[in-house]
Order: sequence, then structure tokens, then C-alpha cells
Amino acid sequence: MSALLVAEQVLNGLQYGMMLFLMAAGLTLVFGVMGLINLAHGALYMTGAFACAAVAAATGSFWLGLAASLAAAASAGALVELAVIRRLYARDHLDQVLATFALILVFSETTRWLFGSFPLYLSLPEALSGAVDLPGGLVYPAFRLAIIGIGFAVAVFLFWLIGRTRLGIRIRAGEADREMIAALGVDIGRLYTLVFALGAALAGLAGALVGTIQSVQVGMGEPVLILAFVVIVIGGIGSIRGALVGALVVGMTDTLGKAFLPQLFALAMEPSAARAVGSALASMLIYILMAAVLIVRPQGLFGARA
Amino acid sequence: MNGPILEVEGLQKSFGALKATDEVTLDLRPGEIHALIGPNGAGKSTLIKLITGEIAADAGRIRFEGQAIDTVDAAGRARLGLARSFQVSQLVPDFTALENVMLAVQGASGESFRFLRPALADPALTEPAAFHLAHAGLSGRERVAAAALSHGERRRLEIAMALAMRPRAFLLDEPMAGMGADGARDLTALLSDLRTEAPILLVEHDMDAVFALADRVSVLVYGRVIATGSVAEIRADPEVRRSYLGEEA
Amino acid sequence: MNRAAIIDAGLFAALVAVALVAQAAGEPFVITLATKAAIFALAGVGLNLVLGYGGLVSFGHAAFFGIGGYVAGILASHAMSGAPVATFPFTMQGTNEMLAIWPMAMAVAGLVALAIGALSLRTSGVYFIMVTLAFAQMLYYFAISWPAYGGEDGLSFYVRNTFPGLNTFDPIQFFAIVAVLLGLALGLSALIVRSRFGLALRAARAAPGRAVAVGIRPFGIRLTAFVISGMITGLAGALYADLNRFVSPAMLSWHMSGEIMVFVILGGVGRLAGPLAGAGAYILLEHLLGGVSEYWQALLGLLLLVIVLFAPGGIVGMLNGGRGR
Repeated sequence: MSALLVAEQVLNGLQYGMMLFLMAAGLTLVFGVMGLINLAHGALYMTGAFACAAVAAATGSFWLGLAASLAAAASAGALVELAVIRRLYARDHLDQVLATFALILVFSETTRWLFGSFPLYLSLPEALSGAVDLPGGLVYPAFRLAIIGIGFAVAVFLFWLIGRTRLGIRIRAGEADREMIAALGVDIGRLYTLVFALGAALAGLAGALVGTIQSVQVGMGEPVLILAFVVIVIGGIGSIRGALVGALVVGMTDTLGKAFLPQLFALAMEPSAARAVGSALASMLIYILMAAVLIVRPQGLFGARA
Repeated sequence: MNGPILEVEGLQKSFGALKATDEVTLDLRPGEIHALIGPNGAGKSTLIKLITGEIAADAGRIRFEGQAIDTVDAAGRARLGLARSFQVSQLVPDFTALENVMLAVQGASGESFRFLRPALADPALTEPAAFHLAHAGLSGRERVAAAALSHGERRRLEIAMALAMRPRAFLLDEPMAGMGADGARDLTALLSDLRTEAPILLVEHDMDAVFALADRVSVLVYGRVIATGSVAEIRADPEVRRSYLGEEA
Repeated sequence: MNRAAIIDAGLFAALVAVALVAQAAGEPFVITLATKAAIFALAGVGLNLVLGYGGLVSFGHAAFFGIGGYVAGILASHAMSGAPVATFPFTMQGTNEMLAIWPMAMAVAGLVALAIGALSLRTSGVYFIMVTLAFAQMLYYFAISWPAYGGEDGLSFYVRNTFPGLNTFDPIQFFAIVAVLLGLALGLSALIVRSRFGLALRAARAAPGRAVAVGIRPFGIRLTAFVISGMITGLAGALYADLNRFVSPAMLSWHMSGEIMVFVILGGVGRLAGPLAGAGAYILLEHLLGGVSEYWQALLGLLLLVIVLFAPGGIVGMLNGGRGR
């Protein structure tokens, strides 16, 4: 395997990790602030992807589609928070799991009814449809580089938002002590809706971006959701930094494992068996990583509580 | 055995910069009630948790019946015979009073991996449980769910569960908490009785109860034991009067 | 018998009655539906043990359901082809004897539950939910990427496995097998819940600090319950494979985990016959709503939302006079 191939896969891993970060950041914020486990986060991801596909098809502009994905996911998130989620904060995790599972069914079937079961495809925006020459002779798709850039930008934005703004202070205070900040006159209901909508918007953005390089279809959200859970377990619940580190670790491990494990096994085994063992093991790699973290540090790398 | 049942030596625990337990050394001797008093935040509950093993000490040693138990976990210490009650009642709310005490009998016996026989049809659980409920003054309340008991009855149920462990030592964390005067008097009589079963390390805010019950008293302030002695000695100790009773020396 | 026991017995009798009436009326399809409900109920009985009585929200029980299914499918397909399942460390042949398949399915599911449980139970709360979900997903991807047994396409076996003295192809006879196993599992869990072990399990849920203070270690209790639970759900998986004569990664998917959980909660968490009521209602809804719209799952979702938000005791809770959990 050449250095070029490795570099390309590292970039792929980075891009994948950034996508996972967009998903995991919203989940971990919602859990950290409201103590809620939201299975329907994947449905918001799907909502973003479909909004992008529909608006891009209608207007011919990918950028309008991307804006629509943010708007649609954020408003779907706010709506769901107001209608359902806020009744669940005081409930136990079981009720939260069941209610948000029910939301997945509603979202998925409604989307299937609106758009059908066949995948939709998005075309790349003109400006980003080409490839970029990177130093060392590596040619890499511009759109994927843009995804990496967007991921970094969101990470910086979130660190700024949580660490430096009034809203961030309230979010952190809300994590520490709900009653206290309510007593200080902060409208806790509005804060929660806002945080939930923010998480939803990030998920919608991720859905639109991934939908563009893969396809847009019903059920696309849940596999990503479960990976985002793995990210959070590894990174630690409620920590944006944990989400970022966890997402990059998971993205890299999964991408590099799938790219190179079968080749690695081929050194010692006959090719077809190596492919089977290598790809089966590669598909399990991040979960093995998660198991290792659970053994060494059950509360996650950056988590305070288990 | 004539030596102390429980010996705590140089125990330390910090939470960040806060020294919750600072070089605490004390012991519990057979047949006595040793009261642990101190203002709020003095570290009494932390000390109890260190002794039961719910939290791990940073330094120091705990010996129980002459054996070091520092590496024994909380459940293991309970089985060795260290029974504790909780400041805020920790009962299984949907279990009846009887089932709560049965749980304690079962836990102490170490035999929880029996799957088929109904626990309520197991006289090895029900008979001692009913006996200890009666001892704690709860006869006739066996079938009532813990959640439906009055506050005073729940305090008694806590005692019954500790009794059911057939312990070698009791650690009672504010057994009188929230009791009215009459209830406190009845409970004082019960606790006084209890010392014939096993010695008691008693954390209590009710000074009347402490002075009526305790054979020895230790005063904890900011995580440190500032004095240990008989009730009379503690009453007379100038440092205790200054820092705990808030009086001019 | 108290009221709860009467409801439990009544629900089981209703299931049997449905199958018998369908038999008399010559409606084998309805018998198959009743069989499916009984199998799902069995899977739910397994989950209910940890979820209802242990308070452990496992979102990964599809792992055990699917493993039970794959054990049945793999053994049956080897019996068909004649090739041994394994030659090391000892030669193991395939089989289509249910009496051999069930213990095998339960043993493998139990071992996997032991491994998953030992890791997952190091955590609690939401972590536990996410970790169980993730480990089930790992097995799902493994099943997809491992080509030997059909990979993504799943594995068909054309002959239903056999049971001595019965014709398992006859719907009512197969139903009888499943119903007896369900009855046994219900009886077993009734015993377990009331036993010393059940006392410890319920205490570890409601007051873990107290359990430790009386000398009971919750981890071992919970892990044991998790393994028993996985074995029961694994048995259900083996029966489900037999019902369809087909296994696929779908049996291992997160959606399956969610459905098993729905059976339990729809029926009523921590109630003995809750999973039976839930699975029965689920099959009924699938059938009724499925006739209304092919997007019936959206309606199911709305119904679930209403139940969670307004009727937390589930169906058995309502039958029992609306008393909540």
C-alpha cells in the first residue's frame, strides 16, 4: 500500500469523523443539558437530507437546499421538542427511549409516504464538484474537503458558543443545576427548545452533506445514530470535546480498518478467506474499541459520570 | 474478644481541595454506643461511607474484628457484619415491610442465587424477618408496603433491617432524623437496647438522644476529630464548647 | 388467585383460544399469526426479566433473538447439506432436531449475553442503553459481512425442524410447541421473580444502595438475570427462524430490538403477561392498521406516543384497573 493511498484513507476517515461529530454533538448536548436520550436524532438527520434533496431539485441550487436542510431540521426539532420531548424530561429513560422510538416510526413512514422508498440522489454543487490537488500529489474530491472544513468550523463554533457566550453559560449552568438557573429567571423552556433545535440543525446539516455524497433514503439516520452513540460512549456523555475526539477516533478506526484490514490479513491467509475475515473484523472494529474503553474507563474518555 | 470491634486509623479523604476526612482515628468497643457528633458539613456522613466501603479512602486503615478490611468492598463488609442504616431511608418502596427485612436476612446469608422457591415460602427468610420486625416494634405491619409506612415506622424499619443482618457492629446514620419528640423517645429506648446485640457507632444530631445513649462521644469538625471522651468530658471540653457548641470558652 | 394472576392466565387462554378457533374454522393463516405473537411474546418475556424487574433498559435484545435464529438456521442448513458445522476442536454435525437445536441456541445466546452483559453492566442509565444497542449493531454488521451463511441475503432452510411425535409442518402442532414453551417461560419467570434471586434483582433496581448495604452485589445479580434473559430471547429466535424457515440480519437489527421493547412496554413493564398482551396487540395492530395503510407504522408510532405519554401502565395496567407502574 502506498503512502498516497494511506493519506487518502486518512482524509476519508477525517471526513467521516467530522460527520459523526455533527451528529454526536447534538446528541451529547441534549443529553448533557436536558438529561434526555433521543433516538429520533437520526430522524432529524434524515429530515435534513430530504429537505436538501427536495429544495435542491426544485430550485436547482444545492446551497438553497443546504440552507433548507438546516431550517427544516431545526424547525422539526423545535416542533418535536414542544409537542413531545418536553413531556419526557421528567420521565425515566425507558419512556424516553420508547417515545423517541415511536417518533422514528412516525418520521420514517411519513417520509416514505411523501417521497417513496427509492433513494434520491443529489448532485454536487458546481463549485465543489471537482478535485483538489494536495501537496504530495494527492488528488482529493473538493466536496469531501469542504465537509472536513465544515466540521472543523462547527467544532470551533460550538466551543465558542459553549465557552464564551451568554447562551453557553446558561447551557453549562443548566447541566449543573436546573432549578438554580430557573430561579435566576432564565426561561428554561425556551433554552431547552433552543438547544434541541440547535442539535437538530447540526444533525440536519450532517444528513444533507452525507446525502450528497451517498444517497438520500428512509432509514438512513439510524445506523449513523448508533455510531454516534458509540462516539458518545467513547468520548463521554455531555462533553463536546469528548464528542469531537470520539468522532475522529471512530471515523478513523472504521475507515482505516475497512480499507486495510483485509489487505493485512492477506499477508497471512489466502485472499478470499482474508477478505472475509478482514471485512468482518473491520465491521466490528469500532465496537471492539468501545468495549476496550468500557473496560478501562467506563465513563468515557472525557466523561465525569458513568 | 475484648479488643475494639472496629478500628479506624489515620483515615483521609479529599474531594478536590476539600479535606472531608482528615486523619481520623477512632474505635468502637464491644457493648458501647459511640456517638459521632459535629456541625453540618463536618464530614460525618463521609466517614460513615468510608467505613462501609461505599467510597474509597485516600489513606489510612480500617480494621474490623482485628482484620484489615480496606480491600473488601461494601457488600463484603456488610456480610462480615457491618450493618448500616441510612440518614434518608433507603427502603425498597414497593416491597412490604416484611420483604424489606427478608432482603436483609437474605443478604447477610449470602444466598441470593436461588431461583425457584418463592422467597415468601422460605421460613429461613420469613421467620427471622418477622422476629426482627417485632423487635423493632413493627408487629402487625408486615404486609404494608414500605412506601405506605409512616415516617417513624420507616425509621424503625431501617433499624429492623440492620438488626436482621445479625451484625457485629451497627453504623447508624442519624436514625432519629425527622422524628418528633415522642417518636424520638421511643426510638432512644430501642437503640439503648440494641447495644446488647452489637456496639453502635451513632451519628446523630439529636443531642438529648446522644447524651442519653452514648458511652463515648467523638466530635468531628472540618473532618478532624477534635475530642473523644465520655459525655461529661465532652460537655466540659473547652475546644468543643468553642467550635461546636458555639459558646465563648 | 389474585387479580394479576387471573389476567395473566386469561391472556394466555385467549391466545390458545384464538388458535383453536382458527383451527376449527380452517384458518391456518390466523394460527400462524397466533404463533408469531407467541414467539414475540416469548422474546418479550426474556426482555421483561431485565427490563421490567431489573430496571435494565436493554436496547440490544435483537442480538439474542438473532443469534437464536442463526443457530437454528446454521444447524438446519448443515443437516441439509451434510457438511459438519465444525471440525475443531471436535466434529459437530448439523441437526434438524428441535430438541437439540433449542439448548444449543440458548447456550450460544447465553454466552453472548454473558459477554455483552459483563461489558454493558459496567455502565448504567443511558450509557447502558447505548452500549447494548451498539453491541447488537456489531453483530448485525458481522452477520452482513460474514459471507458463509448468506451475508446480507440471509439463510433459507427448506425443511422445518422436527419434534419427536409431532408434525411440525401442521400449523396447530407447531403452535402447540410454541405455546407450551411460552407457558413454561412465563411460569419460570413467575417463579424467578418471587424467588430469593428475584427479591435481590428487584431490590437492586429500586434501591441499589440498600442492596449493597445488606451484602448483595448488584453486578452479579444483574449479569445472571441478563444471561437468563438472553437465553429465553434466544429460544424465541430459534422458533422464529423455524416459523419462517429463514434467518436474516434483520433479526439482529436495532429495529428488532425496538420491537421487542415495544412488546414489553405496550403490554406493561414488569407485569408477567405484559409481553404477551403487547405482542398480541402488536400483531393485531399490524394486521388491522396494515389494512388501512401501507404506512401503518406511522399510526403505530402515534399510538405508542399516546401510550407512553398518557398510559404508562400499558395494556395490562389498564386491565388491572388503570393503576400505573
